[in-house]
Amino acid sequence: MALQKPETRDDYRYFLSLQSRWMDNDLYGHVNNVTYYSYFDTVVNYFLIEKGGLDIHKADKIGVVVESHCNYSRSVAYPDLIDCGLRVGHLGNSSVRYEVGIFRNGEPDASAAGYFVHVFVERESNQPVPIPKPVRDALSAITVAASA
Amino acid sequence: MSGYLDWRITDFPFQTDIPTRWGDNDMLGHLNNVVYNRMIETIVVRFTMGPLKIDWKQDPCYPLVVESLCRFHRPLSFPDTITAGLRAGRLGSTSVTYEIALFGQGDDVPASSGHFVHVFIDRDTHKAVSIPDPIRTLIETHA
Repeated sequence: MALQKPETRDDYRYFLSLQSRWMDNDLYGHVNNVTYYSYFDTVVNYFLIEKGGLDIHKADKIGVVVESHCNYSRSVAYPDLIDCGLRVGHLGNSSVRYEVGIFRNGEPDASAAGYFVHVFVERESNQPVPIPKPVRDALSAITVAASA
Repeated sequence: MSGYLDWRITDFPFQTDIPTRWGDNDMLGHLNNVVYNRMIETIVVRFTMGPLKIDWKQDPCYPLVVESLCRFHRPLSFPDTITAGLRAGRLGSTSVTYEIALFGQGDDVPASSGHFVHVFIDRDTHKAVSIPDPIRTLIETHA
């Protein structure tokens, strides 16, 4: 596996700090690989709520995940404080690719980096719809030029 | 991206059934995306402990995940029981990529597909090592 240049905090546009939890660690004493996706899920939805005005209970247009990916470079472990860095790598008509970096305890380099693709759909019909304007405006503000 | 449409459960030499639980659904009424990734991990771990006979706590080297991917084609929900399928894909010197598909009951094509990359790590040096020959042979029989 080729080592990739680590992502740094400067590569991201929005941050959310999360306290890791006891149950995040697995048998090896590190945060379990699947738990990173829960961090992704948390920062993305928090951003949509805080900056995009998403009402997760009543919204008639919602984002559904169509793809998720993560590269694990170095471990993080409870009780680390996790900073989730977020940026948008691609903003389409109905889809958005969020890119997330996981940083532990103030470190400059990401311990893991991944992405998460949402397609916005009408909740009732499940058909794709254009991303609602308040959400799109928020996403535009953290969109960066296309990355790898 | 559309290759999964050709995938059938019979294409996967290792399979396991995974029941869903009430709490696996999120507020949209489907399995949360994290749960799909948990199921992918589950079949990989069962494969390593079953056919590969790996003892995660004792063997001189052990597998470590360096990359995972999941694509979501169709929502799955509690109370479905999921049939997961695994086959070995790319087999390198120190790493192996598993291809995985998740099927709901009655599904012909996967509801979800993805991959999971393991690198074998020496327990003492914490460096990547060549996959031991007996394990490599067992992986090859599940391609």
